Amino acid sequence: MSGAADREAVFPTRQSLGIMKAKLQGAQTGHDLLKRKSEALTKRFREITRRIDEAKRKMGRVMQIASLSLAEVTYAVGGNIGYQIQESARSARFRIRAKQDNVSGVLLPAFESYLTEGNNDFAMTGLGKGGQQVQRCRETYARAVEALVELASLQTAFVILDEVIKVVNRRVNAIEHVIIPRTENTIKYINSELDELDREEFYRLKKVANKKQRDTAADFAEMKKRKEEREDENQAPEQEAQAGPADILAAEEDEDVIF
Amino acid sequence: MEGLLFNVNNGYIEGIVRGYRNGLLTGTNYTNMTQCETIDDLKLQLGPAYGDFLASLPPNPSTSSLAAKATDKLVSEFRYVRANAVGSLAKFMDYVTYGYMIDNVALLITGTLHERDTRELLERCHPLGWFETMPVLCVATNIEELYNSVLIETPLAPYFKGSLSHQDLDELNIEIVRNTLYKNYLEDFYHFVNSHPDMAGTPTAEVMSELLEFEADRRAINITLNSFGTELSKADRKKLYPNFGRLYPEGTLMLSRADDFEGVRLAVDGVADYKAFFDAAGLGGGPGGPGNMAGGTGSDGRSLEDMFYQKEMEIAKSAFTRQFTYAIVYAWVKLREQEIRNITWIAECIAQNQKERIGNYISVF
Repeated sequence: MSGAADREAVFPTRQSLGIMKAKLQGAQTGHDLLKRKSEALTKRFREITRRIDEAKRKMGRVMQIASLSLAEVTYAVGGNIGYQIQESARSARFRIRAKQDNVSGVLLPAFESYLTEGNNDFAMTGLGKGGQQVQRCRETYARAVEALVELASLQTAFVILDEVIKVVNRRVNAIEHVIIPRTENTIKYINSELDELDREEFYRLKKVANKKQRDTAADFAEMKKRKEEREDENQAPEQEAQAGPADILAAEEDEDVIF
Repeated sequence: MEGLLFNVNNGYIEGIVRGYRNGLLTGTNYTNMTQCETIDDLKLQLGPAYGDFLASLPPNPSTSSLAAKATDKLVSEFRYVRANAVGSLAKFMDYVTYGYMIDNVALLITGTLHERDTRELLERCHPLGWFETMPVLCVATNIEELYNSVLIETPLAPYFKGSLSHQDLDELNIEIVRNTLYKNYLEDFYHFVNSHPDMAGTPTAEVMSELLEFEADRRAINITLNSFGTELSKADRKKLYPNFGRLYPEGTLMLSRADDFEGVRLAVDGVADYKAFFDAAGLGGGPGGPGNMAGGTGSDGRSLEDMFYQKEMEIAKSAFTRQFTYAIVYAWVKLREQEIRNITWIAECIAQNQKERIGNYISVF
C-alpha cells in the first residue's frame, strides 16, 4: 500500500465519506466495464493479427505470381510497354470504398475493393503480340492489389486498435491501481478520523459525566451535611430548650443567613 | 546464278553474320544458365558471349539492365553490319529497322497525344528503330504537326499515306495505328523482297517470303485472339490483317469472322503447322480463357505465343542453311532478339526464385 499519505484532500466529514463511497462504487463499475471493453478489443486485435499474418502470406504469394506474369509480358512483347500502359490508362478500374466498423465503440475503417465495369483502357495493348499475357498480367495484378487493399484495411485497424487498447488498458490500470486505492484510503482515513472524533467525544462526554457525577455527589454531600446541620440546629434549640433559654441573638442571626 | 556475283558486294557481310550466328547461345549454354543461383552467376555464364558489354554492370544487376546491355550488343553489331552493307543489302537492312521505327513512332504519337515532353521519350525508343530525323518529331506539339513531320521526315511516310489521316491518329486507339502501320510495313517488305531485281527469284525472296508470311499469319491470328472482348469491330479487325501469308485470303476472311477461340481454330485449319499449334494450345486450356492463378499456362503446357516463337526461330535457323541470301541478316536479328528474351526470362526466374518455369526459353541451336 502506498501509505496513508496517498489520499484525496477532503475534510473528514460524514458528507465527504458519502461522496467517497459513491466514488468508489463508480470507480469499480467503470473498472469492470473498461476491463470488459479491453478484453473485447484484445480479442478483436488477436483476430486481426492472425488475419494480417494470413494476408501477408497471401500477398507474398500473389505478388510473386504477379511479378512473374509481368516477366512473362516482357518476354512475350519483347520490350518495355510500361510507358504505353501508363499513357493509355485513363480512369481507375480498380477502386476502393471506405466504410466504418464499430468494435465496442471504436470506429475501424475498412476498405472494400470493387472493379468498375466496362472500363478497360488498354484492352488493345499488345494487339499484335503478347496481348493475352498483358491481360493475364493485369488480372493477376488486380488480384495482387486486392490482397494489398485487404492488408491495408487490416493494418489500419491494427494500428488504431493498438492505440485504443493501450488507452483503455491505461485507464483500467489507473482505476485499478490509483483511483480505487486512493479512494479506499480516503474512506479509511475519513473513517479513522471520524472514529477518532467519536472517541474524543466519548471521552469528553465521559469526563463531563464524571464531573457532573462528582458535582452531584458533592452537592448531595453538602445537602446532606446541611440537612444534618439543620437537623442538628433543630435539635439544638430542643437541647437549648432543654438546656435552658437559648442564645436568642445567635439563633436569630443564623436563621437570617440561611433563608 | 545468284551466287555468281553475290560475294562481290555481300560476301563479307555474309561471313560476318554467319560468324555472329555461331556466337549465339546454344542449348548447353542455356542449360548452364538455368543452373545459376544468382544473377552474378548468370553474368559469368554469359561472359564468353557478352563479356565486354556486361563488364560495366554493377554486381547483381537488375534484369532490365541486363537486357538493355544485351540489346546494346545486338545494336552495335547491327550497326557495324549496316555500315558495311551496300546497295540492295543496305536497303534490305533498312527495311529490317522499319519495324522498330514503327514502335518508336507509335511511342512518340502516344506521348504527343497526352501532351508529354516527347524528348524524354527518345531514350525509351528502340535503338534499332532510330533514324536521324527522329528528334525532329519531338518539335511537334500537336498531332497534326506530328503527322506532317512523320510524312516528311520518316521513311514510314508511305505506310501512313493512304491509310491514316491525322484525324485518325487522334481518334483511333494507338494500337490500331501501330498495327495498321505494321500491316503496311509487312506488305511493303514482302513486295520489296519479291520485286527488287537483286532479290526476286533468289533464295532471299524465298526465305524472306517464308519468314514474312509467317509473321503476317502470326499477327493476324494474334490480333484476332486479342481482339475478343474489345471494342475492335470485325470490319476494323479485317483491315489490320496483312494481305499475304499462308492464311491469305480464305484464312484471313475466316479469321475476320471468328468470334472465339474455336472460330480461329477453324480458320487456321487449312495450314497444318498452325493447326498443330492450336491443337496443342487447345489442350493446354486455351489462351482465350481468363488467366488462372498460376499466372497462365502450367510449366509444361506451352502457350500459343511460345509455339509461334519456336516456329519463327526454326524458320530463322533454317535460313542459315541457304547460301547467298540477305535473309540471314533478318534471321540473325530475330534469333538474337529471342536470345535476349531468353536471357531476360531466365534472369527474371532466377531473380524471383521461381525456378519451376525457368525452362520456358526457346533454344534452337
